Amino acid sequence: MKRLIVAFCLLSCMLLPISVADEHSSNYWEIDLDNGYISTKPIIVDNQVIVRTSGFWTGEDRPHVYAFDLDTGQENWRFKNAASTNHDMSPLMHVEAGTGACGNWSEMVIIGWTDGKVTALDIEDGSLTWSSQTEVVTWGITGAMALDGDSVVVPTRQGLSRFCLSDGTENLRVDLPQLGWRNGVTVTNDSYLIGNEEGIVNIVSKSGNVTNISFGDGMIRHAPIQTNAGIIVHLQKSDGSEIYLDDQLLSEEGYSPAIPLQNGDDIFFATSSHVIWWKCESNCTFQARTNFHSNGEITLQTNQNSTSIWYPRNTPEGGWATGLPGQELEMYTTSHDTYTTAGVAFGTNGEMAFGNDAGILMVVLDSSERPQIIDGSEEFESESEDSSFQVGPEHFVLVALIVAMIVFQYRKDSAMVKKLGVLLVLVISIMALPSISEVWSKEVDQLTESPGDWDDDWPDEWQGTQVVVFELPSGEVAIGGLEGHENVDQLTEAAALQLDIQIEKEMYSLGEMIVSFNGQELDGWEFTIDGERSQVGISSAEVGEASVVRWSPA
Amino acid sequence: MVMTDGVHGPVLGPVEMLVINVVLITFCFFLLCRPTHSAKREILVLTSITAVAAASRILLEPFPNVQPLTVMCLVMGASLGARRGMAFAVIATMLSNAVLSHGWWTLFQATGWAAVAFAGSRLNLVSQNEVAMKRLIITAIFASVLFDWWVSLSIYTAGMTIGEFGIYLLNGLPFDALHAIASIASAVWIAPWLANLLHEETADLSEPIASGESDVITA
Repeated sequence: MKRLIVAFCLLSCMLLPISVADEHSSNYWEIDLDNGYISTKPIIVDNQVIVRTSGFWTGEDRPHVYAFDLDTGQENWRFKNAASTNHDMSPLMHVEAGTGACGNWSEMVIIGWTDGKVTALDIEDGSLTWSSQTEVVTWGITGAMALDGDSVVVPTRQGLSRFCLSDGTENLRVDLPQLGWRNGVTVTNDSYLIGNEEGIVNIVSKSGNVTNISFGDGMIRHAPIQTNAGIIVHLQKSDGSEIYLDDQLLSEEGYSPAIPLQNGDDIFFATSSHVIWWKCESNCTFQARTNFHSNGEITLQTNQNSTSIWYPRNTPEGGWATGLPGQELEMYTTSHDTYTTAGVAFGTNGEMAFGNDAGILMVVLDSSERPQIIDGSEEFESESEDSSFQVGPEHFVLVALIVAMIVFQYRKDSAMVKKLGVLLVLVISIMALPSISEVWSKEVDQLTESPGDWDDDWPDEWQGTQVVVFELPSGEVAIGGLEGHENVDQLTEAAALQLDIQIEKEMYSLGEMIVSFNGQELDGWEFTIDGERSQVGISSAEVGEASVVRWSPA
Repeated sequence: MVMTDGVHGPVLGPVEMLVINVVLITFCFFLLCRPTHSAKREILVLTSITAVAAASRILLEPFPNVQPLTVMCLVMGASLGARRGMAFAVIATMLSNAVLSHGWWTLFQATGWAAVAFAGSRLNLVSQNEVAMKRLIITAIFASVLFDWWVSLSIYTAGMTIGEFGIYLLNGLPFDALHAIASIASAVWIAPWLANLLHEETADLSEPIASGESDVITA
């Protein structure tokens, strides 16, 4: 009897799934993948949710692709790329089973990796169907792939490759002179469009001939958009961004453009400042713009009678906004919100899957019952140009002072009017100081040359990426290969998340301040950017794509 | 805003802190310890205003570089003289820094405000209980900016070049400007009241007090 019980227990353990969703209700489940960021949107295919993680890059930890049962959250399979060299962010591609000139293929998911590999996995069990190798120049594949008949077109680090879907045989290879990053490829009737870090769109004919259009000094980090009016790109520049239609500048926009979305003639853009809507028929016309901070994947939700646009919010508050620019955006928040660049995945029956930099996959099975994802504090906030101004106590003080001045002026007490006037100037000065100081500091910074803070012992792969160093009492730890973070706050959060360092912050009148790492306050902490002390706070201190941020005890 | 602690220069050990404290307290002792009439009254007035000044720094801490103490030092120096003005500056700085944070920079702040009080005693800013407002405002503006630059010296360390220090001062100009504006407001709002209070409370201190034996005439 005893043996039977032991055998039964062992059998039960073997039958347990590798991982099961942490939380499950009839309409919602979530799972903490604990494997880095979810930087790209999950995909929902039939009864599965498939998601990729960037990996933490500590010890043996490496990026994964996971598949979960849509209804139960039970893990069906996972695929780990132990050879991946950097944080993976190329969007997953689902391919239906089919037949073409180069053969037959079953339903699969195709994945591009930073080690240059393209892998096709069987969608049912995650087994490797085929794998092909492309070039690696620090990075491998980071952009969005595209289907073209019986082939998949892959934007590689320094060119473009096309592989047969049936067996991964390369049937076109074009080397290009410029490096690309997150540079998705677009398939047109007769060519492929691919941008790069030098602001050039290469037009590659399907036979391999190359022509190009230069859009200026900047980076194209999305698949170029083909419209009836011409080719549209959102050029990322050091001082903001610009939207172009061929060689025509349509508008100047904010920092860090998101990956734009095309829906027919409507094109949706986003930056750290706005979400933007243009309509391109024979010409492009501006439609609307609303204040919002989005730098990731814009996604489209198609309902029976309408469509909705979703934007991930890349701020510490996180969450996703939905709605059209120019109209009030509705916020969709969860209990795990943090920096977010991954778009939302939508199923055919109203299911939605969310992932963010916290690495937690959240799945709602019935989108008509959204509040189930909210952790007790449902909060739908709207942000638009009209509502960007918020009244604070200082505004009441201003109004009170002005009213008092008017009253004393009426009483002909000019001495008191002058005294109140001085107080008014002081209050306005206090209110304006953070902005003035920030602008002034940027001007002064231009007078200085950064001393740099590169350590030759660091891996070459970290060159040109964002690096964070923590000089902890237990020793110095550093993490590199980070990308796309705009300020010290974001970059430090990202680095700490990967290194499993706990951060404690406090809010002060002029912004947030980090008071401890791993609970160690010491005599305070200070940071440098490229070896130089910043004169502004962590959320105002901007970092470049190759900045080194160093935290050390004060 | 500099978002970290320790931006005022080197972090001091207990012995170094003790040395600074001893220097500043000794400085105050020598300034205040002199023959005086009505010592109790004077101490009471000085203590009360010093406590208010220290409290004002603590209360206004959320507002960057709003320092009414600068104008108070000018008026105290002008009303009570250099010695008591400087002592007031040092004690108010030490008291407020006990709450705000004490360190190497306290030495620069205390000596800076003491210098401001000394300047106040020499510039005829207050006559009887009347404040020479224009002169006070101009002095307050210069004193605010010079005080800030003096305190900035506390971050000057061995590895820092003159150019880097210049950049540091340049970065601080908006904060210097706010200090100057706050000092103008303090001059307009606080200085007349403080000068009047000091005049009322200390006017009779200068009158000779009878001492020694006297003959009593009786009918």
